[in-house]
Amino acid sequence: MRTRGTQFIAPTLILLIVLVIYPTIYLYYMVFHSFNPLFEVAVRFVGLQNFTTFLNDPDAHYSIFAMLVLMSVTVPTQIVLGTLLAILFTSPYLKGKVVLRSIMLIPLSIPAIIIGLNWKMIFFSYGPLNSFLEAVGLPTQPWLSAPFGSTFNTIFVLAVLDVWQWTPFVALAVASGIEGIPSYVREAAEIDGASRLQMIRHIVLPLSKTVIVIVLFFRIIDSLKLFDIIYMLTAGGPGNITTTLPFYIYKVGFTLTAPKADLGYAALLAVVLLMIATVLVLLVLTRVLYVKRMIWGD
Amino acid sequence: MARKGILVMLVTLAAWLFSIIYLLPFVWMVGTSFKPIGEWGLPTLIPNQVTLNNYYEVLVTGGVYGVRGHFPPIMRYLINSLTISITVAVVTSLLGALTAYGIVRFMAGGTFFVNWILSLRMIPPVVILYPLVVMTKTVGLYNTTAGLIMVYPVITLPITTWFMIGTFKSIPRETEEAALIDGCTHFQAFYRVSLPQAAIGLAASAIFAFIFSWSEFLIPLLLAPGEAAMPLTVFAAYFSNQYGILWGPLSAAAVITAIPVTATAIAIQKYLIRGLTLGFVR
Repeated sequence: MRTRGTQFIAPTLILLIVLVIYPTIYLYYMVFHSFNPLFEVAVRFVGLQNFTTFLNDPDAHYSIFAMLVLMSVTVPTQIVLGTLLAILFTSPYLKGKVVLRSIMLIPLSIPAIIIGLNWKMIFFSYGPLNSFLEAVGLPTQPWLSAPFGSTFNTIFVLAVLDVWQWTPFVALAVASGIEGIPSYVREAAEIDGASRLQMIRHIVLPLSKTVIVIVLFFRIIDSLKLFDIIYMLTAGGPGNITTTLPFYIYKVGFTLTAPKADLGYAALLAVVLLMIATVLVLLVLTRVLYVKRMIWGD
Repeated sequence: MARKGILVMLVTLAAWLFSIIYLLPFVWMVGTSFKPIGEWGLPTLIPNQVTLNNYYEVLVTGGVYGVRGHFPPIMRYLINSLTISITVAVVTSLLGALTAYGIVRFMAGGTFFVNWILSLRMIPPVVILYPLVVMTKTVGLYNTTAGLIMVYPVITLPITTWFMIGTFKSIPRETEEAALIDGCTHFQAFYRVSLPQAAIGLAASAIFAFIFSWSEFLIPLLLAPGEAAMPLTVFAAYFSNQYGILWGPLSAAAVITAIPVTATAIAIQKYLIRGLTLGFVR
């Protein structure tokens, strides 16, 4: 049975071996080597030196911290806001659902780099947001350097973009989960005299839990990839405040004049990121998605 | 009954108000793309004087703004983006269909293979990009559209494969089995019988691959930094960094970059959430 379908998966398998397996092996090879094409001619073996660099590199530790801070701000906000929106969008009292949903598709379909460009203009010192604040008599803010008096707040400005882009995704996904609840469940609750709020609390939320968990999973995974809007808005600055781990890997591995720029060290950082992602993936693959049962049945 | 009428009004009003406020930033940018030079920085949503000049400059002539610099027309980057995204969409949707068929009908590769494909969706691209840079340089595909077309399946193949797994699962086996009895090979049964039945799903998965390749930024930033293969997303970033103050043309370029994907996303909205969650949410 198992060998029969091999010809169907062979092209994909070969392509992915070239594009994923080989780079991964190369990555682990580079972890024990050092190379900066700007100053050196060849890759050289350094043993565990990259590991000690990592352990003594406060920038690397901070970048993991920044990534996790960003994630723990954006993901819960998206989930809570998105679920509330989903309840609103599935309300039996709402008119014009179809059009509203099409409108909410816009943020999540715009390329992230364009969203970055859009908000970069909005947050610009003499941009529309500050002009608006001035017009209504509120103090203007240096949004991309030190909003509300602290450079650290720039992370929260980036969070605004991510929340703006992905809350509609959560809302639409959870809405389709809510609509998948069989109508007899609702009807039974209605006959028992449940109010709209009781319905949401005891029927809608518990029954859309699976969808919420799946969405949560995708948001966590994608928040580990967040790069475009950081590149566009702050380029990791001010200082290194918004240099999250993916962006730090980019700096160390691809901006060869940056401090600590080294392809071997970048490889080690990439392995660290991969490990963080893998832990989360395994957790969910085995606990939530039940891949085997989904495709082939029990 | 009157109470219900008030509720409908309140809920509808709240939802619409929220959506409109939500989209204000984007609306402002679309508005700015139609504004003449004097109005660029204003927080107004609708230009006092509507002009198509920004689009004309961005697409056809390029712009000259004295000391603020000049920029080339984006036509060639637009063509790059289209070439790359359409090729990747066609190739990876077909490959994805083939793979998904093998997985659903024959359990080809077993649980491990399908899990592995799924896990590729989780790899942050920055992790494997340096080896890919070396690889494309070695085979002479660095800075070419062909190189990008070769690498993008890392992003799109897991998506199209998983999308097609869902599609093939919902197609009954019976017609295929009839074809096999009539003497078709498995491959003939796949492309003569099953694939036509999955046509809509296949189209949706191709559009997904298109959306993801069109929006991709990090891969072309590192693999094709030169003019020859640069897609619109990278050009938009470059444009913004070089001439960040030319908001009219910049907004026009941004709108041009956003429209193809936003329009296609709205066109396939029935499948969008299914695709974005790899079929886990229907």
